[in-house]
Amino acid sequence: MKLATIGVGNAGSKVIDRMVEFEQATGRDLCRHTLVINTARTDLAKPEHVPEDRRLLIGETHKKAKGHGVGGDAAIGAEVAKTEIDEIRRIFDDVEIHEVDAILVAAGLGGGTGSGAAPVVIEELQKMYDEPVYGLGMLPGKYEGGRPALNSARSLQSFVNKVDNFIAFDNDAWRSRGQTIEEGYEEMNRELATRIVTLLAAGEVDESEVGENAMDSSDIMRTMEVGGVSSIGYASTDVDTPDDGLLSRFSDEEVSDMESTDAAKIKGLVRRAVNSRLTVPCDVASAERALIIFAGPPSEISRKGVESARDWLEQETETVDVLAGDDPRTGSDTLAAVVLLSNVTDTPRIKEIQDQAVDAQDTIQQQEAVREEEIESLITDDNNDLDPIV
Amino acid sequence: MKLSLFGVGDAGTRLVDKLLQAELEAGRNFTDGNVLAFNTAAEAFGETDTLPEERQILIGDTHSAVNQYVEPDDDGPDTDAASATDRDHSPGVAGDPELGAEVADDELPEIRRALDLVDDTEVDAAMVVAGFGGGTGCGVGSVLLEELKSIYEIPVYVLGPLPAASESDERALTAARAVRTFVPLADAVLPIDNDSWARSSQPVAEEYDEINEMVATRILSLFAAGESDPATVSEMRIDPADVMRTLDVGGLSSIGHASIEVDTDDEGLLARLMQLLGLAEETPDTQTDAATIKRLVRSALSSKLTLPCDIESTDRVLVILSGPPSEISRKGFETGRYLLEEETGTVEVLAGDEPLPNASEITATVLFSNVTDVPRIDELQERAVAYQREQDAETAVIDTTTSIDGATMIAADDSAAATDGDSEQPFEFHGPEEQRENGDGGGDDAVTADGDAGEMTDGDASEMADDDASEMADDDASEMADDDANEGTDGDAADAPTDTNSTDTPADTDTTVEDDETNTAAATSSDEHESSS
Repeated sequence: MKLATIGVGNAGSKVIDRMVEFEQATGRDLCRHTLVINTARTDLAKPEHVPEDRRLLIGETHKKAKGHGVGGDAAIGAEVAKTEIDEIRRIFDDVEIHEVDAILVAAGLGGGTGSGAAPVVIEELQKMYDEPVYGLGMLPGKYEGGRPALNSARSLQSFVNKVDNFIAFDNDAWRSRGQTIEEGYEEMNRELATRIVTLLAAGEVDESEVGENAMDSSDIMRTMEVGGVSSIGYASTDVDTPDDGLLSRFSDEEVSDMESTDAAKIKGLVRRAVNSRLTVPCDVASAERALIIFAGPPSEISRKGVESARDWLEQETETVDVLAGDDPRTGSDTLAAVVLLSNVTDTPRIKEIQDQAVDAQDTIQQQEAVREEEIESLITDDNNDLDPIV
Repeated sequence: MKLSLFGVGDAGTRLVDKLLQAELEAGRNFTDGNVLAFNTAAEAFGETDTLPEERQILIGDTHSAVNQYVEPDDDGPDTDAASATDRDHSPGVAGDPELGAEVADDELPEIRRALDLVDDTEVDAAMVVAGFGGGTGCGVGSVLLEELKSIYEIPVYVLGPLPAASESDERALTAARAVRTFVPLADAVLPIDNDSWARSSQPVAEEYDEINEMVATRILSLFAAGESDPATVSEMRIDPADVMRTLDVGGLSSIGHASIEVDTDDEGLLARLMQLLGLAEETPDTQTDAATIKRLVRSALSSKLTLPCDIESTDRVLVILSGPPSEISRKGFETGRYLLEEETGTVEVLAGDEPLPNASEITATVLFSNVTDVPRIDELQERAVAYQREQDAETAVIDTTTSIDGATMIAADDSAAATDGDSEQPFEFHGPEEQRENGDGGGDDAVTADGDAGEMTDGDASEMADDDASEMADDDASEMADDDANEGTDGDAADAPTDTNSTDTPADTDTTVEDDETNTAAATSSDEHESSS
């Protein structure tokens, strides 16, 4: 697939940056256009792989933003994007939309810019283009607190309503001890970039060198067209380099035996992809459609393995709509299986965020209701005997 | 973020000077030279080290009521507290906020000219720095605040010390009125509670210097985060918009601060060398341990706050972790933030990090915005009200010696006069002086009560949860303050009938005075209109 990618806010911009990094490192060419949009000038300086002229600062003239972010306030994020919608449209003038299959908008849903501005951008893109617009959203972890939960619960509604498919990523699923802040978010962004690129870059090589088993862009788009929230599973294994392969072939007598190991390996890889950390934990059976892509050296992808893996996933997801195909990467030293579970409806984490958001909204409303009164009562004495100076 | 600073009065000027020094030392350039200081007496200007001379604006020197000379027997310029305890001896507006406001009103053209020196388009917010209890700080500060709010689009904050318990009742009254004035006008107010920071063993001058340093550290950690040069890329940067949004709710705010040492590079190298040589076992990475960060945030929570308060009454919270990026654990960062949410009961908690690669410690700075349960403010108000009643009662007493029925009228006149500052009434100046002599006993009591409360808060804070300690202090102090107030008023009221034979019960006197206040409110506001138009 060929994509135009847009990162909105700090988290969204970083993941786009990591996607470009990953595709460059692995010889893929997925992101034909990249663009990052932010309300904070300093955050716009961070991406390493996005050209200077593809970074758009919005809200510089907004009274509260002024190029310094929106302070985690989604309402201001949305307001700023709406005010500068012409500016946003203008930067798309450079995008040769006929060169891409789809548009991907990435954003962190906990912050103010991503949760507020991204839905506005998406709405505009849907008006401008016929191509599908996909969302990639990072859901805040529990410990990021009530405000981010509220931002994301509200933003999730806008996202899911406006995009053709929403790929969710749960920050909590990727938290581990011993990481510094830098490492923590860095690691998450890399993991996510690997999954997204491995999934969507399949089918970018046009039928030339590939066989009938290759996954096509249209297959991926067909799986995603059901809408809703999707989750991605991923597992990879190192494959023998040609040298090792030669050596091992010398030592290994029975070729047929190898084939069955390869099939088991493929199936195992898919099981691992689904059972290990999905981008958002979900009940696999609640998926409406599913798709498996095997990316790696064609010689490593056993047909038998692909078939049994597909059968297994059909059972797991309780749907017959499971596509499986290859993304041949001849020189690659890894074999990866990426599983897309499209329109999963049973995602406990989203429910949790919604509950946390409802509580947060109550707290915020209660605070607002008494704010003026409490300040007034603090600064005046009991009988209001003290007068202000001016 | 970038701030412009406006020092007002002695205390404000000195604190601004200290902030500029801290800015230089820390290499965090957050004012870009956008500073000014206003005073009605030149003396504090002589003591500044960093504040440029051309940024120090003397106002009111031509005003007839403003005194520029320091009496020889004055305690000297170092004692913020003592210098204004005695009106006649203190230079400038002699602790009179009404006079301060009048001077500032008269000198508005001068003030406006000076404001041209500061570029408000280069900064994210403005901060008025003024002693709440001072005549200049409160009076000039109020007018300046009003002016800044009318000409600036950026938020305007107020920072400044509250008078200590050992300072005069008059300053307590001024400070209580300053709170009443600043809060509705300013976008946020950050009072510093000198009492909880003062240590009695120290000379007053040193003490104030130390408190100012403490304040400067916190203000810089909060407002100058990310302004260090060269700026490092932060993962979760605190933007000016974050700080501004946190303070956006208004009211009073307080700052907590704590830090822990981290292994310096040398030790790290040595340890690594030892490991390489097989002389030391690989130790678990304690620096990135989430528990360390959580502990740090917890200690910032229970640290001595710039304004002691019940943190559960806070509206919004912001936390900044500054330190070497390799030492700040993500999990710790998140659990630390969550801890703040749990402890304060608010969901509006913003958190960020400030990478300082060469720092030898990690610092957690927590901003509690719009705290509404602040015992110190209640104490201040009680003291102020008691003092104001004494004043009014005294006025009534003096007057009723000439006219039995005139108490009401004169008290009303006095209040009105005090408000428009056009005071030729003898009560304005003689009242408080006599009152202080008469009311010494009451004043001392108040000191003891506050002292106890302060000690209790300090001593127990480390072991006890913060709110427990302050609640206790609150209860005790307010009870005691109540006693004082009652005693004071009773005493005056008791005096009144003997002198005048005009009232039957103490309660009646109280009621009369109170009613007068209410009646004069209209007069006061119309006076305001006149002066502003």
